[in-house]
Amino acid sequence: MKPIVPKKNEPVRIGFYICHCGTNIASVVDVEAVAKYAATLPNVAVSRTYKYMCSDPGQELIQQDIQESRLNRIVVAACSPLLHEHTFRKATEAGGLNPFYFQMVNIREHDSWVHTDRTEATRKAMALARAAIQRVPHHKPLEVKKVGINPNVLIVGGGIGGIHAALTLANAGKMVYLVEKEATIGGHMAKFDKTFPTLDCAMCVLSPKMAAIGSHPNIHLWTYSEVAKVDGYVGNFKVTVRRKPRYILEDLCTGCQECVNACVYKDAKFADEFNLGLGKRKPIFLPFPQAIPPVTMIDPEVCLNFKRGKNPDGSHTVSDKCKKTCVEACGDRKAIDFKQTQEIKEITVGTIIVATGFQIFDARRIPYYGYGVYPNVYNALEVERLINASGPTEGEVILRNGQVPKKVAIVHCVGSRDENTNRWCSRVCCLYSLKLAHLIKEHTHAEVYNFYIDMRTPGKGMEEFYNRIAEEGMHLIRGRVADVYPDPNDGATGRLVVQAEDTLTNKILKIPVDMVVLATGLEPHPEAESLRRMFNLSCSSEGWFLERHPKLAPVNTFTDGIFLAGCCQGPKDIPDTVAQAGAAAAEAFALIDKGHVEQEPNTAYILDDCCGCKSCIPLCPYTAISFAEDTKKAIINETLCKGCGTCVASCPSGSIVQNLFEDVEIYSEIDGVLAEGLF
Amino acid sequence: MVALLEPAVVDKATTLETLLETPAGKRMMTCIQCGTCAGTCPYGEHMEFAPRLVINMLRGGFIDEVIKSDSLLRCVACYACLAKCPRGIRLTDVLLPLVKEQVLVTRTEIPAEFQKSLENMHRYGNPMGESPRKRAAWTATAGTKIPILAEVKRTVDVLWFVECYPSFYARGQDNCRAVAKLFQALGVDFAILGNEEKCAGECGQVTWESGLFESLAEDNMKLFKKYQFRRIVTADAHAYNAFHFRYPMFGLTQPAEHTTQFFARHLDQLKPRLTRPVNRTVTYHDPCCLGRATGSYDEGRALLQAIPGVKLVEMVHNRVNSICCGGGGGGMWLDTYYKQKGMERLSERRVREAVATGADVLAVSCPYEISRFEDALKTVPHDKPMVVRDVVELLAESLA
Repeated sequence: MKPIVPKKNEPVRIGFYICHCGTNIASVVDVEAVAKYAATLPNVAVSRTYKYMCSDPGQELIQQDIQESRLNRIVVAACSPLLHEHTFRKATEAGGLNPFYFQMVNIREHDSWVHTDRTEATRKAMALARAAIQRVPHHKPLEVKKVGINPNVLIVGGGIGGIHAALTLANAGKMVYLVEKEATIGGHMAKFDKTFPTLDCAMCVLSPKMAAIGSHPNIHLWTYSEVAKVDGYVGNFKVTVRRKPRYILEDLCTGCQECVNACVYKDAKFADEFNLGLGKRKPIFLPFPQAIPPVTMIDPEVCLNFKRGKNPDGSHTVSDKCKKTCVEACGDRKAIDFKQTQEIKEITVGTIIVATGFQIFDARRIPYYGYGVYPNVYNALEVERLINASGPTEGEVILRNGQVPKKVAIVHCVGSRDENTNRWCSRVCCLYSLKLAHLIKEHTHAEVYNFYIDMRTPGKGMEEFYNRIAEEGMHLIRGRVADVYPDPNDGATGRLVVQAEDTLTNKILKIPVDMVVLATGLEPHPEAESLRRMFNLSCSSEGWFLERHPKLAPVNTFTDGIFLAGCCQGPKDIPDTVAQAGAAAAEAFALIDKGHVEQEPNTAYILDDCCGCKSCIPLCPYTAISFAEDTKKAIINETLCKGCGTCVASCPSGSIVQNLFEDVEIYSEIDGVLAEGLF
Repeated sequence: MVALLEPAVVDKATTLETLLETPAGKRMMTCIQCGTCAGTCPYGEHMEFAPRLVINMLRGGFIDEVIKSDSLLRCVACYACLAKCPRGIRLTDVLLPLVKEQVLVTRTEIPAEFQKSLENMHRYGNPMGESPRKRAAWTATAGTKIPILAEVKRTVDVLWFVECYPSFYARGQDNCRAVAKLFQALGVDFAILGNEEKCAGECGQVTWESGLFESLAEDNMKLFKKYQFRRIVTADAHAYNAFHFRYPMFGLTQPAEHTTQFFARHLDQLKPRLTRPVNRTVTYHDPCCLGRATGSYDEGRALLQAIPGVKLVEMVHNRVNSICCGGGGGGMWLDTYYKQKGMERLSERRVREAVATGADVLAVSCPYEISRFEDALKTVPHDKPMVVRDVVELLAESLA
């Protein structure tokens, strides 16, 4: 088909199309009336309604009209341009016109979905349509620019989501930078004992993947590291990573742990982070036996070879007061370096996968459950560690006083479904509570009471799992726990009373138990807000990172080239996290494989009447503007310009123009929306 | 903490029939029937229809069955159900009073002691049936001149609303004398209403009789309109609650403060005057109307900790999880009824917790609690002596 290039003096002929979107638009907006109205406006040659404009016949309608009615501008009033602008630009192009002779009007998200009054909504649709019809004659043919993509990928977060995405991409031959904040990868999953509904051991399935990360030639694993800065755009992100000092040289450490054994502290006496403080470690330690990288680290806050307290910049000063038996034990390997400082790495990547995970709800926020007050109240993650053979009790479920609990209460929905804390359902707690009930019973033969509001077990094999646990003789009580307090009839064993209404029998229960397990919900990561700013992401009101579309773009973000995986986007279980991580990897791979990205030609350019005042140059956030000494005018590098419009608005002589947002286009649009007659 | 009860949430014209159409009622439609309310209710086990079921009976159109039962005679309006509700449903101050009112209208048998108190409030403006002319009699024992608004004839900074229990009860008057002493020490410009004052009516509102509450509120509002003052201060947590949440609906524009809040706000001036040590271990009982109802947990504790020599210890149930003394919601006059029904007195449950702390003093900040806890101490066995003192009494004791 021969491209149609409108001649300079050829009259503008607009085709206007309004979509019913089934009943999404047509039930609120009188689409026939809008089409009829549009037909009366200047330059409109064709005005039609159609049930689904995005369908093939809808698009063909545009193409056909361009050819048959010699249209040279297209306006479609339908949904958000986020969804179908691309579709209709393609249709316009397929009809033989430059795709930028097209303008979209959003009368669904901006009109029919947010209004109920049919008359008013119809008037609004008319005004919005007229704005586009007045704007589109000023459109110019533009070319989409293509920018190459750096094939390297940054993955932030080394939990199961980040691990799976990293391996998928690395196995496909892509270079991956995996940045993890903690000293080892593995995330929350590494702390779990067994996983629901299959009861397979979490580390048995996770550790091979962790080991594969550690040895993969295509993966740069940077643990104990944080992303400090992100610049650039899809295909070409410049990322600064801060590697914190662990005082051990990763390349030289063999993970033999002889340094740990040789430490002047004969006994482990400091709270062990990996076991949530339930166990103890030395100042030099391996986070846990299967840690990847298998490299020890030194805690300068307690190591005798450092002065106490931090310097103002957060670093620590060597005191040199210890006998350094660790260095002696390390010997020729020379892997210990007390003078190590933080290291700044700068890398360029084309795509980024954010898999920063979640934090567990701090149960102290519900004071009447007694967490942090009564020693026998635990959160679920602590109990995972107690059950785990590599945990602080080597798999024995024993209380802090060494006793084996005979009665255990598991409290569901702690920090979930509650207006006073978090409103969302954390999705995994019902099932992990059933799992813990099974494991606690298996380990201790205790009577286990699960207090739940609603038992939520969606997913493959989950209801069957619920059935299995119920058959094992758990007490399943439908009622949210209202109070936990020391048993007044108890001496000093620390026995607690759990009080709740059994809503199915209308009875108030006061059950004395030896141990209370709080099924704490999932919350956005405490650093989610700073990460959000750094990666330019959007958040839901709760603080979870927002996907581009809840159904059709679940791992994309509103920033091109940045994808989401796992619980940073919302609570989910391991299978869903892995599935999402695979999807994020596939999205990144698809971009890389294409080799380039198409960029909206919304760049700015300088007119000849630039006076050379240079005021725009420091304002450009992308350093895209420079000064041409020969012409004494500013010039804009089109590949660097992101179309933010800052220079356009600031230019004192009005000599900068931005494609797609020229003054005449914007003013015509405003005139159109405000024109008399409708309001 | 409970959000301020705005007229937009529910107004005084709301009835059980219209409730589900209001914003507060729409919240009730979101109830997930988790039973936290029933589980935390101090008398939940004695109710045929605990709060959870009341909501569901209302939603299902069976509220008449609730009205026929005596379940809500057993509600002491302690705000525990409301404070812990994961859906923020306004039980204590919206749903339950509306149901209770219908119980009172339809029920043929109302416990005599309770009925008498309501009648007294109506006839004499106080539940004891004391002569209104003796309301300000305590001022003769104050040891200082207590200004009366009708006599001062000018704008005062603080209208001290004394309320019934502090006015008429001997132990309540100790509270009055302490407040007067503290006001004087701080140089507060205050006056009282004297014999003109009537019960603020909180128990009428939160419990049973919106009509009784409205007539008392209107009487008091006439006085508030007649005199000039900048704020109301009261030692009665229940009256404070009524002034804070309900009186604005009747036109009250001045802010209200409880004495603990007022003195805590002036702690910088007060603290240097607290020189006489009170060498006691003290445990503090959070009044429902101050704690859960308005989130005021810290003021009473801050005042106690400002007293030299005081060692503050906490009971097992404290702050949001505090246990009611059993006096709210009409419970003050239902003790005999509860006993007949085989229900434990909540003041005894609370005092057992206080005794278990090993404290010498049970500090309170609501005038109901003085008599309730002193009575309970007579029946609850305890090895070590324990006394009940209002926070302001301890403060006054510490004044040089």
